[in-house]
Amino acid sequence: MLSEIHTSYGYLSEKALRQIADVTGCSLVDIYGVVTFYRSFSLKPRGKHICSVCTGTACHVRNAPGITEEFERQLKIKAGQTTRDKTFTLETVNCLGTCALGPIVVVDGQYHADVSIPEVKKIINRTRRNSSSSRIKPDNRIFPVTVSCSHCNHSLMDKTLLVDDYPSIKVTASFGRKHGWLRLSSLYGSYHVESEFEVPEREVVHFFCPHCHTEMAGAVPCPDCEAPMVTLLVRDGGVVQICSRRGCKYHMLDINGAIL
Amino acid sequence: MKKIESITDFYLLRDHIISDRPEGLSTLIIPAGTCGQASGANDLIRVAKKVILEKKLIDHIRLRITGCHGFCQMEPSILIEPRNTFYPKVDLGQVPLIIEAAINNEIIPQLLWTDSETGEKIERQQDIPFFRHQSRTLLASNEKVDPIRIHNYIENGGYQTLAGLLEKGKPDAVIKEIKSSGLRGRGGAGFPAGLKWELMAKKPKGNGKFLICNADEGDPGAYMDRSLLEGNPHSIVEGMLIGAFATGADKGIIYVRSEYPLAIKHLMIALRQARDLGILGQRVLGTGFSFDISLVKGAGAFVCGEETALIKSVEGKPGEPEQRPPFPIDKGINGNPTLINNVETWANVPVILAKGAKAFTRIGTPNNTGTKIFSLVGKIKYTGLVEIPMGMTLRQILFDIGGGQIDNREIKAVQTGGPSGGCIPEKLFDLPMDYDSLAEVGSIMGSGGMIVMDDHSCMVDVAKYFMNFLKDESCGKCFSCRKGTQRMYELLDDISRGEGTVEKLKLLEELALVVKDTTLCGLGQTAANPVLSTLRYFRDEYLEHIEARKCRGKVCKDLITYRITENCTGCLLCIKACPEKAISGKKKELHQLDESKCIKCGACLSVCKDNAVIII
Repeated sequence: MLSEIHTSYGYLSEKALRQIADVTGCSLVDIYGVVTFYRSFSLKPRGKHICSVCTGTACHVRNAPGITEEFERQLKIKAGQTTRDKTFTLETVNCLGTCALGPIVVVDGQYHADVSIPEVKKIINRTRRNSSSSRIKPDNRIFPVTVSCSHCNHSLMDKTLLVDDYPSIKVTASFGRKHGWLRLSSLYGSYHVESEFEVPEREVVHFFCPHCHTEMAGAVPCPDCEAPMVTLLVRDGGVVQICSRRGCKYHMLDINGAIL
Repeated sequence: MKKIESITDFYLLRDHIISDRPEGLSTLIIPAGTCGQASGANDLIRVAKKVILEKKLIDHIRLRITGCHGFCQMEPSILIEPRNTFYPKVDLGQVPLIIEAAINNEIIPQLLWTDSETGEKIERQQDIPFFRHQSRTLLASNEKVDPIRIHNYIENGGYQTLAGLLEKGKPDAVIKEIKSSGLRGRGGAGFPAGLKWELMAKKPKGNGKFLICNADEGDPGAYMDRSLLEGNPHSIVEGMLIGAFATGADKGIIYVRSEYPLAIKHLMIALRQARDLGILGQRVLGTGFSFDISLVKGAGAFVCGEETALIKSVEGKPGEPEQRPPFPIDKGINGNPTLINNVETWANVPVILAKGAKAFTRIGTPNNTGTKIFSLVGKIKYTGLVEIPMGMTLRQILFDIGGGQIDNREIKAVQTGGPSGGCIPEKLFDLPMDYDSLAEVGSIMGSGGMIVMDDHSCMVDVAKYFMNFLKDESCGKCFSCRKGTQRMYELLDDISRGEGTVEKLKLLEELALVVKDTTLCGLGQTAANPVLSTLRYFRDEYLEHIEARKCRGKVCKDLITYRITENCTGCLLCIKACPEKAISGKKKELHQLDESKCIKCGACLSVCKDNAVIII
């Protein structure tokens, strides 16, 4: 319970703890005891970007303390604190288990290996830049896919409206009582979406093929957020699955046949 | 996925999967465990998929994404089956060339592994020294299996051992087999697993019997459990199913630390797929046997690796250890019989039942059978996960597999067993790596962490590091552990800052022995080991810190000075790198370091290309 609330809100507020006490019948002091015992629970709101420096043994002998101090200098906070503008939280972690690549820093789930002191500033700046930019830069790793409906095999590509400068993938979407078109970027790895109406964050959307009107739901739920996944066939072989929850970035391109 | 309703149907599915396999194609294998992803394997995978789609190669080559293979330092790497060509540290631009070569059954010589001493190029992974001397029973499976495809696991022989046992096996015979194999708990203590299972089997059903997989790998420096969980989660599921069959357990729990998000993801996928297929849940494979496994996440507490603390954590309480006896087998989760084994122990179970206990005992030494995965990290040329037969000497691991020291330094000591372990000095490097030998020299096998230290490591700093860790992770229940670890840390800190005295050293030693004797759980009882073992073999370093105010490892900041020598070419790099602006100078002129401003962060040392920065 504590774990799920912490994951959703980023921290455990006093209000949340009091509510848990009411609902479960456990005393507030017992709940507080559990929360303060476990290091990964935070009682304070954390920043937009979370920097975790590994302080395991292998990273320690490769100067992890020096890296932590450099982060403290650059962000002007101590480990365990959040910057005043709430953009960065700095934490240390007792071993992330990537010991061969130490010293390791994880920022927003992305692992940076073999970090040197001059690199710390670059990592911070890059994180600031990436969160504000929304353009997809030309990149070897990003490429367009051509997809069709997994039921009727009709192409879903739409040249009349480009997203990210490529033909978009046009589907019909519905959630709640709203119903209309949705266009996804065909660039594998881009999350740009244009839609007839605004989809709220975390909302699960139902996707339908505009040609045969079948719902394009896969059999497997998203490993990250448990929402249903949408299955699309790729033209030259393979299957793309994307999560149907707005804001969830999980996607998988499978060229060996569908994951069952 | 259709649920399997009988054992016959299982074998039919397996045959179908195997016959469906396209013959004659090469497979591109990209390890993408957490290490791989941190090294850029995801980009490699992206580009590989892009090339295969754009060039319409889907019927000409297969792609397999796996977990860690073990040679983490060389990732992102690519392995090509069936030739077993190994390409280390692959660049994005090289991916299309590697794919083309693999399709034509050719190799690209300039991208192969090169022996740094002889310049020899080696094609096949098994011929590379790092791999050649290992005994890769468990890690080899990580190469063959895509962890998020249960069909792939079945294709490689997975769940067949379980099916065979459900069909014809007897629980007593399984326990006998585990006992004869001599399997000892791989979590650190090395307790005979067969004995534990035998005790568990005798317990009455009551309100349920629990099996736990302890995946709270908290030892800093150890990550072999992570690689097994990420790379082959079904091997643990099968191990636990076999364990449940043998001991009569009906519920399983995998307690995994929250710091392993990829392992958690792969486990959730594996459990779901196993349930969908009817391998977990009511009526496994259509038989009368039922067993299911749930996942419980840790939340950042090292002490929860201790079994009684783990049980408290599963029950939703703070992980404070309890007195033993009663042992978990008698009184575990909510008072019910609970059998706890480590990840690597569970992973060995299907291997033993498939190949037989006798084959298992042929590897290793009497009383220390089988293989053990170690995480070889620190100041060594080749770091990564190595699986060796028990009894191999430390020297062989360091030099034959690990490639020896880096930068012409000298390897001074190896720390094993995490914060509960100890340091092994160079003169004892011919020690065989097994539970008993390590205990004799004042260390422990522990979970398998092996941290290599050279002459630029300080043994006082190492003891201080572990004491800092332990004082934070102490649950606080026992006064002597709570206060003792804190005070020991303070004494070590004094010594490292040049404020140590001989009296303080005496106090430290005495305190270490007191904490060892007067605490409830393993954390406290072994908290003294880092101090005691470094004092045993490196007392002169401690005395040097105290009497001469000198740190020969050049680590303790208050006892060292940074200096720029005449090798300086005036390139300005260190001036830019210094966060305190302590270095001044013009281009092409000798740079000057102001010692009063220097905070000894090491930035200048890391950027200097002329070896002009020294520490004295």
